[in-house]
Amino acid sequence: MTTLLETRYRSVLRLLPAYYRSAREEEMVEVYLWDVDRDTQDQSRPTLGEVASVAALALRSRLAAAGAPRPYALFGSVVRHFALFAVLLQAAATVADRVLSLTWSSTHGRGQWDMFLSGFTGRGTLGVVAVAQWILPLLWIAGFFALLHERRALARAAVLLAALPSLWPLFGPLVSDVVTADLWFAAATALLAWLPALALCAAYHRDAPPATLPVGTPGLVLTACSVVMGGSLVLLPAMADAAWAPATGFVLGALAWLLLRNRRTDSAGSGGAAALAALGLLLLAVRLAALYLWLGVPVPTAFLGGALVQAGALALLVVVLALVARRDLAPR
Amino acid sequence: MTQAAFFVLTALADQPRHGYGILREVEDLSDGTVQLRVGTLYGVLDRLTADGLIVLDREEVHEGRLRRYYRLTGEGTAALDAEAERMAAGASAAKQRIAEGRRAPGAATRPTTDNPGLAGGLA
Repeated sequence: MTTLLETRYRSVLRLLPAYYRSAREEEMVEVYLWDVDRDTQDQSRPTLGEVASVAALALRSRLAAAGAPRPYALFGSVVRHFALFAVLLQAAATVADRVLSLTWSSTHGRGQWDMFLSGFTGRGTLGVVAVAQWILPLLWIAGFFALLHERRALARAAVLLAALPSLWPLFGPLVSDVVTADLWFAAATALLAWLPALALCAAYHRDAPPATLPVGTPGLVLTACSVVMGGSLVLLPAMADAAWAPATGFVLGALAWLLLRNRRTDSAGSGGAAALAALGLLLLAVRLAALYLWLGVPVPTAFLGGALVQAGALALLVVVLALVARRDLAPR
Repeated sequence: MTQAAFFVLTALADQPRHGYGILREVEDLSDGTVQLRVGTLYGVLDRLTADGLIVLDREEVHEGRLRRYYRLTGEGTAALDAEAERMAAGASAAKQRIAEGRRAPGAATRPTTDNPGLAGGLA
């Protein structure tokens, strides 16, 4: 007769994917119940530690554990590509933004430099928050290089810290006098930071294959992406808002990826198109949220036109990438 | 090789064992310092199986429940042997350094907090 404890363990094991349960459930239940007195089994429960270890195994087995069936292997590949591309995007956007703001402030007279510094000084706790918001995103760069050099623990810590500042516009108003007028933009930006960070933590587990870029070395690719994003701000300053540089970088990067993918004959790129489609969708949300801020406000035509063209390009790319992903991921 | 993988391979070095047997053996081998959860154990078993270091030895059914016994492969024995050699070499080097440190002149009379520091202070 099945005891209550066995039923509870089987409930916990339902966290595991079906393929894993069919292979392991009976064996695992046997291990769990081995030295538990049958008379006390109705009073016992799985411990939190046991549930946590099964949850970790469930996550790992869904994101390409050793010997996982193809759908899980593909899903793991998509999540890993998404994390890699998104962390690259965040790192390049951070480099472009910090380099341009430092260059502008330090080359346009004392007044500009003082204005730059005044963002951090003389504001008490808010000054500390401003410093953290300026410095912590630099850890996207550390996370990107750590990931590609197989320092996964460092990469995980770096991206989680780098994503923290994106929460301030959402939770800052709860603990300070700060007011967030653009809640949709803040939410979309937080998603763009936290989804990649969590994807990296979940998908680059111990059994996951190493992260590799489709082309080039990490330094070269990051530099190229940073130059494209920085260039889009310098060449078209009239169109620049918070979404302009990352969206431009993504559009050009995704186009380059689509052109290069035909040269790859192996299956290592499987999941890349789906990952880029998901990232493009997130960026489209950020783009539209940034545009939503200006609804009802007279804005220069060039700015509005640039943002709308960019939103259209992002939408088109997402559709194309989704079609490519559908073909790549179709059952064989 | 992770600590968990090392102890699981060590637990299987002398004879095939089932999941619960491996958990208990790992705990004994590590003097209780390594207590694997079942979810962790099966993650390790999956990885070692995929790497070809262990294989399924046999299956038995006891009171309607399944027991699977695992054993080391030749590759697994070689990997465990290499890891043990590496750890022994590291331990030997550490012991040698400690002995050299003890023999070094003045090793027993290191400055204490009662003595002035390099800057002449007592901090």
